[in-house]
Amino acid sequence: MQSQQIQQLFVRYKILALLIAVAIIWVFFHIKTDAAFVTPGNLSNLFRQMAITGMLACGMVFVIIAGEIDLSIGSQLGLLGGVVAILTVNQGWGTWTAIGAVLVLGLLIGAVNGYIVTKMRVPSFIVGLGGMLAFRGIVLFITGSSTIAPAPDNLIAIGQGFVPPDVSRWIGGLIFLAMVALTARRRVRRTKLGLQQAAVWIDVAKIVAIGAFIFGFVRMLNDANGIPIPVMILLGLLAVFTYVSTQTVFGRHIYAVGGNMEATRLSGVNVARVKLVVFAIMGLMCAFAGIITVARTGSGSPSAGTGGELDAISACFIGGTSMRGGSGTVYGALIGALVMASLDNGMQLMDVDNSWQMIIKGVILVLAVWVDVLSGSNRNG
Amino acid sequence: MSEYLFEMRNIVKEFSGVRALNGIDLAVRPGECVGLCGENGAGKSTLMKVLSGVYPYGTWEGEILFDGKPLRAASVRDSEAAGIVIIHQELMLVPQLSVAENIFLGNEIRKFGGVMDYDAMYAKADALLARLKLKDVNVAAPVMNYGGGYQQLFEIAKALAKNARLLILDEPSSSLTSSETDTLLAIIEDLKHDGVACVYISHKLEEVARVCDTVTVIRDGKHIVTKPMSEMTTHSIITAMVGRDIENLFPKVDHDIGEVIFEARHVTCWDLANPNRKRVDDISFQLRRGEILGIAGLVGAGRTELVSAIFGAYPGRYEAELVLEGKSIKIKSPEQAIKAGLSLVPEDRKRQGIVPLLGVGDNITLATLSHYAHAGQIDRQAELQVVEAEIKRLRVKTASPELAIMGLSGGNQQKAVLTKMLLPGPKVLILDEPTRGVDVGSKYDIYKLMFELAAKGVAIIMVSSEMPEVLGVSDRVLVVGEGKLRGDFKNVGLTQEQVLAAAISHAAEGPAHAA
Repeated sequence: MQSQQIQQLFVRYKILALLIAVAIIWVFFHIKTDAAFVTPGNLSNLFRQMAITGMLACGMVFVIIAGEIDLSIGSQLGLLGGVVAILTVNQGWGTWTAIGAVLVLGLLIGAVNGYIVTKMRVPSFIVGLGGMLAFRGIVLFITGSSTIAPAPDNLIAIGQGFVPPDVSRWIGGLIFLAMVALTARRRVRRTKLGLQQAAVWIDVAKIVAIGAFIFGFVRMLNDANGIPIPVMILLGLLAVFTYVSTQTVFGRHIYAVGGNMEATRLSGVNVARVKLVVFAIMGLMCAFAGIITVARTGSGSPSAGTGGELDAISACFIGGTSMRGGSGTVYGALIGALVMASLDNGMQLMDVDNSWQMIIKGVILVLAVWVDVLSGSNRNG
Repeated sequence: MSEYLFEMRNIVKEFSGVRALNGIDLAVRPGECVGLCGENGAGKSTLMKVLSGVYPYGTWEGEILFDGKPLRAASVRDSEAAGIVIIHQELMLVPQLSVAENIFLGNEIRKFGGVMDYDAMYAKADALLARLKLKDVNVAAPVMNYGGGYQQLFEIAKALAKNARLLILDEPSSSLTSSETDTLLAIIEDLKHDGVACVYISHKLEEVARVCDTVTVIRDGKHIVTKPMSEMTTHSIITAMVGRDIENLFPKVDHDIGEVIFEARHVTCWDLANPNRKRVDDISFQLRRGEILGIAGLVGAGRTELVSAIFGAYPGRYEAELVLEGKSIKIKSPEQAIKAGLSLVPEDRKRQGIVPLLGVGDNITLATLSHYAHAGQIDRQAELQVVEAEIKRLRVKTASPELAIMGLSGGNQQKAVLTKMLLPGPKVLILDEPTRGVDVGSKYDIYKLMFELAAKGVAIIMVSSEMPEVLGVSDRVLVVGEGKLRGDFKNVGLTQEQVLAAAISHAAEGPAHAA
């Protein structure tokens, strides 16, 4: 009986299970690395490592919910990063102009992928596989297979800079207040509509947990210069993507298309357009990730982003996105990305051999999805 | 007794308390062809599943004798080993494999160690096809190189390869042209001479009359009559098939029928797999304001194709001229159809109607979501108000509008799909099998809603395979058979016999008109 209740709790609050998993991983590494893991400096580093995978995962979670896949995003990241490096370093473009141009280019590349998938009806797996090769080839061609450096200082500042501690505190406070306000408004509305309410203690516990988390997060990172700018961007994207997926017509249509494309089409939804836009957004996220990659390393490397698609897809699946489409959450995918980044970071600190790192990450991915299947939350009707 | 090769005695099959088969008898002599007739849902396919071992011995009551000995098949394999082979309406061939590989699929001729003996298989396949008078077939070529008629014969060759002594053919001519059907019937005659027994299940009574020696009619899971074909006519078969009163299931309300609001002209659809075959062949009709138009016909007659072409949802090539309120409209997608004022509730609820993981409310508003949104942002309050009102109006039984729709019963899912397609406020509502798999209570609610809508001036097209429903609800009935319009009846004193006769009548007779 008891175990069944616990199982139900985890099915309803999948995020809880994921956070516990993250906590276990952190404690494990903290002990194994003689208290070097949960330190402001290392966590700041970990979150920065996670930011790029997280950006890709934001886009990927929409693609997977819509019932598709995009394997070319690692190469897209490399290409878009390469273009921003060439524009700023070789062509002497201003940083912001170059960033704007690359964001537009990313959107276009994604839209072309989406066009091929929806209008020309090539399966997305194949389009991704082809794109993976072709985009990487283009990067090698335009960079002449060599690293392009040094990136301008104001570009590097985006990748390596920090939000000042005072501002971080303010932002943290505002986010907390916003969460409180949203929860209160939700309760009022649901009462007015006569809908089932979550128990008060659950909402209070949620707010307390969120408050404690924000406080701890800001405090910890302020001890290491403040919130890194890429992490701040990722948090912004989390907010936007969560909003889109839960509050907009477009978001609802993504879930509907992935859940049952034929029924959605017969309901008068332009399913091709929904998928095309999802792919375009994926391209845009590759541009974000590509720019941040160049900004972090200070150079455009022709091999940047290699294997990035696997990290992003793993993050989505660890975060509870259904492989058959139709269900998943953005925050789940980001926690999935946090799991992957924590494993990378911890094993690097422990000086685990690269071969073992790959083995362990692979096993954990399969394990995580197996647990998800066991919990029955992925059972489709 | 031993004169029969095969005998079923007093077969009873229950599904959770409902008797699908209630004391069926069926007997076949060697070299005899028995026609099995009954309306859609009479229990033919359930009977065939009992016969072929899909429902294993013990899950039904009664007795099956084969060669005078009791047959207790635990699976399809057992009944095939005894010599009973069923050929399904949907062909069960693997298109990419060769003709010979298909004929021996699951039954391959092996050399040592599981290696296939292609030479032996090719030789035997050639011999089997020669027995069916099929020459010019390359048994090493993939099946998909051959048309539907050939494929049907490959199925028979496959059955013969299993040494079939009783061959069951379920609607074998449904995907054949008339000359291909002639070939098929000639081959069945040949097989009869060789002593092979057949059960021929078909709606096409003229085929039954041509090839069968005996006819058995079942209705509502009961055995009605078994007689030699010489003592039966197609008319007497139809009477036996229908023969029941319509109970007062239909809360018919008088409604005014106004002017012509919608017209479909020259609707033609081509088959997806066979581009020379027309699924719908030049059908035109008019629809009036407040009119409920029933479209009757047998399964596979082209009714679903007709309405999906009108709604812009037919997956293959099609042509249709549509006129709504005097203006010609172009519809290329369901999106455009809904914008123009058409709605369609599809036939297959699970595949085409619901998004299983989404909530009941989310499903209900799927077609009209933008109505409750400002600049793309959903106004949840407005959305939920509509959802709550609709759930109450249609009496959808759900604990909460947020519950995933897959948890609801079929009837409640259907109501949710129906209200989804009503929210756009259609002028023409198309319902394809609106009460399939729906309980009696929900059926009643759905009929009531249809009459209410008609009274408000909505024009309704209802495709249905349930004859009582067609006659109980419609103001006018169109009958479609083999893709053509076979009849256009005012539903005044119309009988099931008339409708069925029109559906089955040969194309040459042309459309029938009553009064």
